[in-house]
Amino acid sequence: MLAQGIRSHRRWIVLALIALVALALAPVFLAPFHIRVAQLFLFSAALAVAWTILGGFAGYWSFGHTAFIGLGAFVAALVETSFQIKPAGLNFVVGMLAGTGACAVLAALLAYPILRLRGIYFAIAMLGVSQVLGELNNNVDAFKGSLGIVLPQIAPAHVEPQAFYYYLFLIAGVLTLGAAFAVKVTRLGHGLLAIREDEDTARMLGVPTERYKTAAFVLSAVLTGMLGIIYAHALGYITSGSVYRTDFSLNVMVYALLGGIGTLAGPILGAGIMVVLTQMVLGRLLDTHMFVTGALLVAIVMLAPRGILGYVAPLLRWRKDGASP
Amino acid sequence: MQLVLQTLVDGLVLGGLYSLAAIGFSLIFGVMNVVNLSHGVIVLIGAYLSYFFWQTLGVDPLLSIPPVMAVLFCLGYVYQRGLIQLAVDRSSLVASMLVTFGVALMLRNLLVLIFSPDFKSITPSWAFTFFVIGPVTVDLVRISALCASLVLLSLLALALHRTGIGRVIRATAQQDLAARLCGVDVRHVYGLTFGMSAAFAGASGAILGIVMPFSPPDEVHWTINAFVVVTLGGVGSPSGALLGGLLLGVISTATSQAIGPAFPNVMMFLILVVMLLVRPAGLLGNAFSGSR
Repeated sequence: MLAQGIRSHRRWIVLALIALVALALAPVFLAPFHIRVAQLFLFSAALAVAWTILGGFAGYWSFGHTAFIGLGAFVAALVETSFQIKPAGLNFVVGMLAGTGACAVLAALLAYPILRLRGIYFAIAMLGVSQVLGELNNNVDAFKGSLGIVLPQIAPAHVEPQAFYYYLFLIAGVLTLGAAFAVKVTRLGHGLLAIREDEDTARMLGVPTERYKTAAFVLSAVLTGMLGIIYAHALGYITSGSVYRTDFSLNVMVYALLGGIGTLAGPILGAGIMVVLTQMVLGRLLDTHMFVTGALLVAIVMLAPRGILGYVAPLLRWRKDGASP
Repeated sequence: MQLVLQTLVDGLVLGGLYSLAAIGFSLIFGVMNVVNLSHGVIVLIGAYLSYFFWQTLGVDPLLSIPPVMAVLFCLGYVYQRGLIQLAVDRSSLVASMLVTFGVALMLRNLLVLIFSPDFKSITPSWAFTFFVIGPVTVDLVRISALCASLVLLSLLALALHRTGIGRVIRATAQQDLAARLCGVDVRHVYGLTFGMSAAFAGASGAILGIVMPFSPPDEVHWTINAFVVVTLGGVGSPSGALLGGLLLGVISTATSQAIGPAFPNVMMFLILVVMLLVRPAGLLGNAFSGSR
């Protein structure tokens, strides 16, 4: 099924490869500030794609994905600072495995009770989970959430850190997009789509809904955790407040909704537009920043309820070959 | 013993305020299935309006409740008919939630611009009177806040169960299609419900202003509180909101007393998640639609 999926999406894949080459060459030409913006874009887009695996394909909108960013970041930070394995690269890999492992375990444990809830109730339960984790992390001294943790520097001495983290985000982004694409074109993705359209019917027709939802949830959590760990290293110093952020959870939905929900190109497009807008244009409007973001959100839902791709893709007539973005 | 009684009384007083602040959220959720993430900011608009009346005209905060309710009723009606209904029609219920979130961001920013991000509080001349009843100390402010909450909730319950418009609202909540077939103008009813919800949120804001200081970022807190109250008590009924609010008040004061002042939020969300899993319809089980 994967081979067939690759064949039917070949135009999108060519487009993605061209974009990848452009992104890989970008740091050579960009000013340091723009490299930071590009980092943020890669991080946001990858988060939105990871969220899409559950929220976009299966229709289970998580309002608390920041739980996995925070959990991954803090588990990795605690492991790395307490063991301090040499060399630094190995330490990072161990931290990464521990952090993503913790996310996988949490998602698998939560899956049984919480994925039984539907619609708004699932959304709110996840919001609750992220708040509980964030508050516990902040208030239990052993987790050092309020004090903060300084992460070990992993960029090699002769490499410029900004560019190093840029490429790290790029690799993570490619991994995330690859995983999401693999889910989308295989049996799992079709099953998730069936769940989104009508879960009871899907179940009746023999789709193993529980197993598919759990798989999507765990995969989404692991990818989100991985991104959170890289983000934590790029920050260099984390507190609960800097990684358990409700605005992460909400922004990924805005990106997906703006670009086109349920697609893979949509969240990336949405993240690109929002990051450029908020960082480069609205950065000057400190007082009314929130107002403009809110107004934009309202405008998106009212004017383009199916996202930008919902309008653009049919115009391009790329869907003739049966592949969706 | 005295500590337990005092904690209980404090919790109940706080809970009365929570109930009143949540009833509007509960109504909207129950009647039109819309999760109004701008509910908290409406509560705060009520508080700031009352603050404005008190500062410029010297109106007593309890007397400012009727005008605040009237203003917010009109705003709520327009908000529903002009924006939320359009969002529901054009896309989905979940998308309408994003619209209310966007509006909450905008209004919060406006409040900061108009009233500054500083904490404000309303202190009428009688603010520092208190009584000692047996072993328990209660101040007049809190007593009047609890009484006002109870009176307003009872009025709403009467309106919903004893008047014609109340019956129409309950019918629409049960099945909007059937209500429409019986000649109910469903959109108008939605507008009225939203107006009532905003009015009661505003009233709770006026009361919250005399009980505790407030600032624009608090709105998140009030929205989430409303959600917890509704999940605890049950959707769409004043009695459910009252039960949920009182429980939440007692739980949060007891948690900060017994475990530590940093933990009421943790406890609140744990209870929220557990309640969603065990009894998603709320304790009084009045959900209009199931969660699973």
